[in-house]
Amino acid sequence: MSELKRTQLYNAHIAAGATMVDFGGWEMPIQYPEGIVAEHLYTRSCCSLFDVSHMGRLLIEGPDRVAFLQHVLSSNVLALDLNKAQYCIIPAEDGSAVDDAYLYQFEADRFLLVVNAANTDKDLAYFAPIVKNYNCTIRNITAETVSIAVQGPKSGEMLSVLAGGAEVTKPARNNLSTMDLEGHTVQIARTGYTAEPIGYELFLKNEDALWAWNRLLELGAKPAGLGARDTLRMEGMLPLYGDEMGVDEEGKPMPIFALALAKFAVSFDEAKGDFVGRKALEAQAAAQAAIRAKDFSPEVLAALPKRVRPIALVDRGVMRHGMAVYRNGEHIGWVTSGTMIPYYKTEGEGENVKLLPETGKRAIGIAYIASDVPANGEVEVDVRGKRLKAVIPTKHITNNVPPYVVPVLAK
Amino acid sequence: MTINPDLKYSKSHEWVRMDGDVAVIGISDFAQDALGDLVFVNLPQVGDDVTAGEAFGDVESVKAVSDLMSPVTGVVCEINEELLDAPENLNNDPYGAWIIKVENVTDTEELLDAAAYEAHCAAEA
Repeated sequence: MSELKRTQLYNAHIAAGATMVDFGGWEMPIQYPEGIVAEHLYTRSCCSLFDVSHMGRLLIEGPDRVAFLQHVLSSNVLALDLNKAQYCIIPAEDGSAVDDAYLYQFEADRFLLVVNAANTDKDLAYFAPIVKNYNCTIRNITAETVSIAVQGPKSGEMLSVLAGGAEVTKPARNNLSTMDLEGHTVQIARTGYTAEPIGYELFLKNEDALWAWNRLLELGAKPAGLGARDTLRMEGMLPLYGDEMGVDEEGKPMPIFALALAKFAVSFDEAKGDFVGRKALEAQAAAQAAIRAKDFSPEVLAALPKRVRPIALVDRGVMRHGMAVYRNGEHIGWVTSGTMIPYYKTEGEGENVKLLPETGKRAIGIAYIASDVPANGEVEVDVRGKRLKAVIPTKHITNNVPPYVVPVLAK
Repeated sequence: MTINPDLKYSKSHEWVRMDGDVAVIGISDFAQDALGDLVFVNLPQVGDDVTAGEAFGDVESVKAVSDLMSPVTGVVCEINEELLDAPENLNNDPYGAWIIKVENVTDTEELLDAAAYEAHCAAEA
């Protein structure tokens, strides 16, 4: 067992009383003393800081960088303008995922690709023989840089204090900027993994890590660990490699188009040419479109037998990753992520939504189940030997109107 | 971490208080702190048998599920129904939030007094 890696903020986490765990070879905070529930709620009501420096940061440089990325990523890299980011998947030839990633263009002559911490070495090994055929290079800058996610309704205001009152990026998601914040050059992305309508990810030099962390704490942000990061992303139906991507409980590859968001992450633009997995993904995409149009014919279901869906427990209990899901006694898949997740009760609609002081909690999660289960369909989950009733809602939250996430409670 | 000096403790971090012939059972401050935010409890029903050293229910945190071990053998005569809706009471008031009461106690696990339990926790921490 090799020694665990530590981020530049390790001492800050220890000083704050964090519980540290091994995550993808890194010693990372899973929670701070206030606990996962408080950290989740503080993200939804105010602003949390997440040390995400463990994620793999790869710079793709050289004349053929676009051609290389068009070949190995699912997205259309040519559609990415300067100071924009896009979500993408690294497909395998069979149409399953090697990893998922975010691609950023902060500078005109290079791309930043951020991959899962636990997959960084695997991704580099996968890219190595392919990148040889292109006039470009991959530089792993994970150790030389830090990344801090600043997420929640107050995140924009707090960052703007550091920018002397200026907006740090254009308002919509996926905008980027490079700014001087109190004398430190910071790359800022309007992205995140919490489903917050307002959230940012900062990329900084190692020596700037403590300044950014401490300044944002002074401004009222609180640290949040990997535990809250997981409940926040689960509530927002954001997939996690190893749960909703990769292989299923039987070791079978999960098709990328099992994910609803594949529609936005995969491009079949002509400019992408014959990229890795294209043929398999085209078949999956056709099946996903048919299923969305309620065509559950055998050919369609054979092409995409299972999909990733929200799931909410109706009976009392808690669902966990790996629990079997049944419909009328027939095994139709598994829970891929699940726990008890807190939420703020709200009143009003759209821009007038207010968070109430009262909170609730609900046993929700994500399931990988037969594609023909309809919206609001009833299923059962085997929770340690007991069959508990659950439903398949269309979503757990709405987050399309800033600044607040609004829970959608299953009936 | 606090240890209530008036209670007896099991090595698996449950506490026991004898109210006459009835054993009142909860979990220690050490246990609730190690488990983290508790979000769900599974309790037995009144009339169920419990056995010393065996699970009588479980508690779930955001991250994981953990068995509750009974320090005594007997019959459940009352459960703390408040915990079903407010499992966080176990975090906020571990020595006030009892979990079950057991009567007809026929056997008891080897229990630690507060001083011995403190040493036991120190060794586990």
